[in-house]
Order: sequence, then structure tokens, then C-alpha cells
Amino acid sequence: MLDPFRLLEALVLLTALVGFQGLIWRRNLFLRALSLDVMGTGAVALFVLVAARSGLRTPILARSDLAASRLPLLAWADPIPQGVILTAIVIGLSIQALLLVVIARLSHVDPLLDTSSFERLLLEPPAAAAPPDRT
Amino acid sequence: MPVLNLLIAWLLLPFLAAFSSALLPRMGRGLALVCALTTVAWGFWARVPEHELLFELIGNLGVQLQLDTVAAPFLLLNGVVVLAVLVDGWRSPPPPGPFLLLVMVLLGGLNSAFLATDLVSLYVALEVVGIAAFLLILQRREPSQLWIALRYLVVSGGVMTLFLIGAGLVYLHTGSFRLQPLQSLPAGDPALAVAMGLVMLGLLTKAGVFLSGLWLPQTHAEAPAQVSALLSGVVVAGGLCPLLRLALLLPSLQPVFTWVGVASALLGVVYALGDGDLKRLLAWSTLSQMGFALLNPAAGGFYALGHGLAKAALFLAAGRVPTRDLARWGQQPLAPALGLVVLVGSLSIAGAPPLLGYVTKSALEELPITGLPGLTAPLTVWVLALLMVGTAAVYARLCWLPMGGGAGVPAPGALLLTLLLVLLGLLWPGGLPALSPAGAGKALAVLAAGAGVEALRRAFCQLAPGVHLRLPDLERMVDLLGALGMVGVALQLALLRLEPLSAELAVREVAWLG
Repeated sequence: MLDPFRLLEALVLLTALVGFQGLIWRRNLFLRALSLDVMGTGAVALFVLVAARSGLRTPILARSDLAASRLPLLAWADPIPQGVILTAIVIGLSIQALLLVVIARLSHVDPLLDTSSFERLLLEPPAAAAPPDRT
Repeated sequence: MPVLNLLIAWLLLPFLAAFSSALLPRMGRGLALVCALTTVAWGFWARVPEHELLFELIGNLGVQLQLDTVAAPFLLLNGVVVLAVLVDGWRSPPPPGPFLLLVMVLLGGLNSAFLATDLVSLYVALEVVGIAAFLLILQRREPSQLWIALRYLVVSGGVMTLFLIGAGLVYLHTGSFRLQPLQSLPAGDPALAVAMGLVMLGLLTKAGVFLSGLWLPQTHAEAPAQVSALLSGVVVAGGLCPLLRLALLLPSLQPVFTWVGVASALLGVVYALGDGDLKRLLAWSTLSQMGFALLNPAAGGFYALGHGLAKAALFLAAGRVPTRDLARWGQQPLAPALGLVVLVGSLSIAGAPPLLGYVTKSALEELPITGLPGLTAPLTVWVLALLMVGTAAVYARLCWLPMGGGAGVPAPGALLLTLLLVLLGLLWPGGLPALSPAGAGKALAVLAAGAGVEALRRAFCQLAPGVHLRLPDLERMVDLLGALGMVGVALQLALLRLEPLSAELAVREVAWLG
């Protein structure tokens, strides 16, 4: 019988891997940003899973009669990974926001958001694309 | 404990200063100057081993920070490079937008990254650094810069997500995010190999090493000059410092680091030799120098200091030279001030004797006992010498320049760094006083060989004008991200095959690390 924790762990890692594949192979910038989000979802799910090893109850309310219980449904979840992943979710959200702002701006250059048309921006002769900066 | 309180206040200072400068823009420069100077002071203080300080914030599950001799050279580097960038723009009107604010956030994030010894603090610090660097690249909102910044953020965001997954797996196996418990786990454990592979991939990418650093050249070349100096001088060090911590903590990982370092040094040198743009040449050279720094964890921080100071000076100068095109390099004479910066910076990275680069390079040359597995010791020495000749050849190209044209273009920041390169080289213990004839002779031979390679290249260009040896283009987005995948898989395989150090070797390694 397969350990359900291992199975879930494998699925979560697979999610991240699928996201990473999308990040590599999608040519559309928006889909690349979306793939990054799928990877982020994998990371969040992993932390939630790790936290749920010791128990499933949200570690917020303290009720001593429940805390002593050995039933998995009533035991505490591990608060450390949950706390950590909150920070990571916020960071991931802000990165997504920044990505989308830049993508929206770049859509003036190519509304189809195809990666190769932006790579061409830098292949133009350096004099035209990037004048020597005199900051 | 007053020292501890001061330290925490200093770590928070850049963020508070950045917030204040948003409210009171006129104070920005003064505040940034204070942040940079205090960072230099702490770096100077931490260089003494007795001043080591390991502390935890909010109890034994909270953030763990360590101020020690590993962090010291990085703190010095961070403070001095930010100082030089501030000095460089002191006379001109303040830069547009939130430049100073972002520089302070970058400084603060890097300081935390240098001190952090748990994976989550490291993740947060590196993400702060990444976002600040992204916004700094975006100063002028032209499409090409938007694209470069986007590319940087996608690579950095993707790889940091993988890093986070690695951190989660480390927690699953050790019950802690800290680096120290990793020591108790056996090398080659499959579960740990996945976790450590992801963590190391994240840090290697942030440090701009080998194929995982392919994002670096274009990013550093297209950013504005001051930002390039920050990126190539210190931001890459944000990934390097934790890597050196890992290598010092887990000596059995060293073979992996050594091979990655050699491969990175080689890749960077070959592409730098083949490039025709000044800033891209400098950026490729950063990729190779980061590889060098990984070869010896005990001297890597010091090496990064020597390289970062010189590279920041070169990038600051590169913003003011008449042309970035190396085919026309040397046709227009450079102003003496700029010429001096370019000469001293280049010679320092190439390892010319009285400069700081020579001292750091001779400290690096003593490889760890584990060395390069699969290569005999004499062969390893030759590989290193070859890489150093390559570096010298890259910089010989920049030194071939006529001087003395035009009145002085002010480049105060770059001149400050140049002065430090000379002074630190002369004053550092192990510098000029310990300059042995054999070491100096070897350094000069390497320089001469480098100049010889450059002379050959010139002769070839004159014999066959118009013939360009094109290296394959590795900088499309799919290449960058695919390379991440490849390096990640290779790391996993290498870590799985790692064997614990034999007891005898481990004892010798510990003695060598001091």
C-alpha cells in the first residue's frame, strides 16, 4: 500500500515540474508568467503538506482539551511551514504583479507577446537599440 | 548585549532609511551614504575571527543570522561599491525616480543575505535583492530595458520558487530550515540530493555561475552604467556568499563546486574572448570570475571582494567611454582619469602583482584537498594556469589603449575604487610584504602569456579581416531556462553519486579550512 503522504508529495513535486516545463517551452510571455504561478502553487502545496504531517488543525486557537488529542483531525498542524509559506505567497504575488505590469507595457511592442519578437529588440545594431549611456 | 542591538539596528537601517527617503527625498543621499559607511564599518569589524556573532531573532525557531569572517569581505564589498556609486553621481543632479531608495533596499537585502544562515531568511533576502535589482534595471522604460528586466525577473522568480521547494524538502528531512543540521545527514542520500540540488541551483543562478548564469551577460550589459556596477560588483555576491557557507559547512560537496567553478570559468573566458562589446565582455568575465571564487571556499569571499571592486570600477568607467564597440576600442584616446581606471581595474582582475587582484588570486590558488576528482594534481595546476592566462588575455584587450586625449572626464566613484584596489593590495596582510619572487614571477608570466594571446588575436584579425568566429548564441529565453533545467538535473545526479569524505580526508580538509 502506497503511503498517501509520499503520493501527495510526488504529485506536488510533479505540479512544480509541470510549471517549470511550461516556463521553458511556452513562447507566449503571459503563459510563461502563468507557468511561474503553477510552480508557485506547487511550492505552496508542498509546505501545506509538510505542515499537515503532524495534524490538520490550524495552529491558531489554543484549546487544551483538543490539543492533547491524538486523532489526526484534532492534532495541531506544524505552524512553522505555514508561517513561512505566508511570506512566500506574498513575495510570489508581488513578483507576479511586477511581471504582469511589464508584460502589459511590452504588449505595445508585440500584442501577441511572442518571446522571439522581444529577443529581436536586442539584436538590432547596438547604436540603434541601446545608445551608449551617459548617466 | 549592546553589540547585538547595534547589529540589529544596522540591519534595519537601510530599510528605514529607504522609507524615510521616500517621504523626504532631499535626505536620500545623506541616508544612503550613512548606510554604505556603516556597512563598511561592520565588514571591517567582522574580519577579526574573535568578533564572530551567531544570534537568533524571536527564539530558537526564528531567523538565524551569523556575522563572521565569511560575511566580512562581502559586507566590505557591498558598502564600498554602493559608496562608489553614490560618489559617482554626487555632482550630477540626483538620479530620476526612486534610484536612491532602491539602492538602499538593495544594500539592506544584500546585508541580510550575507548574514543569513537559514534557508527561509535567505529566500526572503534574495527575493528582496532580486526585486530591487529588477526595478533598478527598469530606470529608463525603453522596450529593450523592459525586456531585459522581465527576463531577469522570470529567471530569478522561477529559480527562487525551486529554491523554496528545496527548502521545504530540507525541512521535511531535517525538521529545520537551518544549514547546520545538514551536516549530520549522510552524503549521497537520495531525498537530500533532490533538496540540496534545488537549493544549490537557486544559489548558483543568483551568483551567475556556469550555464545557470547565462542570464547574466545581457542583463549586466544593457542596464545603466551605475546599475551594472552594482549588479556585477555585489548582487552576484548575494548568491555566492551562501554557496561558500554551504561549501565550508559540508566539505563533501566541494567536488561539485570545484567542477562547476572550473566549467564556469572556462565558459566565461571563451565567450568574453569572443565578444565585441565592452560591457558584454565585462559581464562574461563576471561569470568566469564567480566560477573562480567557488574553487576555494576559504578564500572565495576575499576573491569576490577583489573582483567586485575592480569590476564595479570598470563598469562605472564603461558608462563614460566614447564607444562600447571593441573593434573601435583604442582608436579614440581615453581621458587620463578613465584610462587609469580601465588599466588598474583590468590589471587587478588579471592578477598583476602589487594590486588587490594579485593578493586574492594567490590566496585562491591553494585548492582544497578534495581538489578536482578525476584529474591528477599537476593537471589541475595546469588547468588553473590556463584559465588565468585566458582571463589575462580578456583584459589585455582592454589595456591596449592610447591615453591622454581630452580633458579629464570626472569619474570620481571609479577613481575611488581604483585607489582602494592599489591601497588594499599594498596594505592587506599577505599583500606586498609577503610578495614572494616565485609568486610574482608566475603572475607576470601569466600576464605575458595573456598579452601574447591578445597579440595573436590581433594578428589574426589583421590577416583575415572580416572573418568572425561566431560562438553559438546561448542567450535566448528558452536557452536560459533550459540551462536551468539541465544544471538542476546534473546537480541531482552529481549529489546522488557523492560519497562521504573518508575519515582521513575529512580530518585533512578540516585542518586545511583552519
